[in-house]
Amino acid sequence: MTMKLPSNPHYVDLNHPQQQQHVLRYNPRALEINSETKMSQEVAGVEVLKVVLPGDEVLQYNPDRNKERIFIGPGLRWEDNVIRATRPGLLKKTLKRLYYVDSHQKRYIPQKREFVIGTVLKKKGDNYIIDIGASEQATISYLSFENASKKTKKEMKVGDLIFGQLLVANKDMEPELVCIDTYDRAVGMGPLPEGGLLFNVSLHVARLIVNPKNSFLLTISKMFKYTIVVGFNGRIWVKAKKQGEMVAIMNCILMLEVMTLEEANENALRVLSSFSQHNSKEATC
Amino acid sequence: MSKHACELNFLSRSDGSALYSIGNTVALASVNGPGEVKKFNRLYNRAYLEVSYSPSTGQSMIGERALESVITRTVEQVILVHLHPRTAVNVTIQEMQSDGLELSTSVNAACLSLLDAGVQMKSTFAAVTCCLTPSSTILIEPTAAEMKESVAVATFVLDGQALNVLSAHQEGCLNAENFNACLKACQTAAKDVFNFYRQALEKKYHTCNEIS
Repeated sequence: MTMKLPSNPHYVDLNHPQQQQHVLRYNPRALEINSETKMSQEVAGVEVLKVVLPGDEVLQYNPDRNKERIFIGPGLRWEDNVIRATRPGLLKKTLKRLYYVDSHQKRYIPQKREFVIGTVLKKKGDNYIIDIGASEQATISYLSFENASKKTKKEMKVGDLIFGQLLVANKDMEPELVCIDTYDRAVGMGPLPEGGLLFNVSLHVARLIVNPKNSFLLTISKMFKYTIVVGFNGRIWVKAKKQGEMVAIMNCILMLEVMTLEEANENALRVLSSFSQHNSKEATC
Repeated sequence: MSKHACELNFLSRSDGSALYSIGNTVALASVNGPGEVKKFNRLYNRAYLEVSYSPSTGQSMIGERALESVITRTVEQVILVHLHPRTAVNVTIQEMQSDGLELSTSVNAACLSLLDAGVQMKSTFAAVTCCLTPSSTILIEPTAAEMKESVAVATFVLDGQALNVLSAHQEGCLNAENFNACLKACQTAAKDVFNFYRQALEKKYHTCNEIS
């Protein structure tokens, strides 16, 4: 027997992580009035509507009247048949009618399925207590590593770094990390090796550099070979051959906090090329 | 009306900060949170909010504590505390320079720092101070000298949607008629303040990166 896909063109995959939000319907007439089409620019299927402040009305809709569904993502709230913003930022809309506010924050609030970098604080029973920069400490069981069993435990020291995924993250429970996927494979997760460099950036910078359409990390890789791990909690870990190279990479990434992508690209190339020239001179001396 | 100015993300280490000035009064506000909370402040169903205000000179006295409590009660109404149980939001306000408008400047600085930090809120809020002169005219955002001459000074904190009053603070006597006149004048002035907020945040978000 074959599965038949729903014929409704507005069908949206609810298992998609970004879209497990409230299912809502909207009134298309209200949308026309409220969204400013002047400012809109479409970028890879994501439409930037406008800058919103908390309390701004995004659109009106009545779930009983309209059959069409919309999704409300982070930074929006539905109350009294009106969707309002709760955070300042850019209001965005995807092709599948997911509305969300892209805001700039430094404080991490854990979200399920996000990849984060944490530090081991202590061992507590069968768990490690991990600091991920949120309001509460996260836990990780020593069994949730690849190839770990009761006999072959994963031993970690206090202060070790760990790259994992959030299995549990909601406001009422303490976050829980895992270092394996549903097939018990590590897929890049696990304790980070010694000799790297960890630093913090704003959350939007972390999201920006892991975007597959962004070539910034490739620009840096023209100069050195390096390994980078980016956590969605704004922590970035880099490892290169020399200490100086790691610091140079860190400075390049920190440029994104204050510059646009083009400016940062240009400056990064300049800084890195002068850095590698300087180093080669030293080697010949 | 005095000139408003502000700079967002003034401090690098706090989650959000704003330097705000109205005329010659300047305040610096910084927000940390929602973050870790001390055990005795921990609330099971909502975030704990703490506001601390320090004057430009000398120690924090009873007057500053009173100012803190006005700001705390205002901010508490606006931020969505139930979204982050067992956390704390700390708002620290440092008075930099004073010309009589400490309350409205620090409330506005607190609002912009909360916006900068991205704390979830029901709406924005703004404070406007006005005073009633002996000749019964209303001055919006007076100087300290003008306030000394006046009959009464009133400050209203208004929300960004319907301009409803979130808190009101008054020194001196006002009859019902004058009080309403003051409120109306402040509501008109608040619209400009909210426009100023919007400009400040549009500036912040216009320079950000979009991937094509």
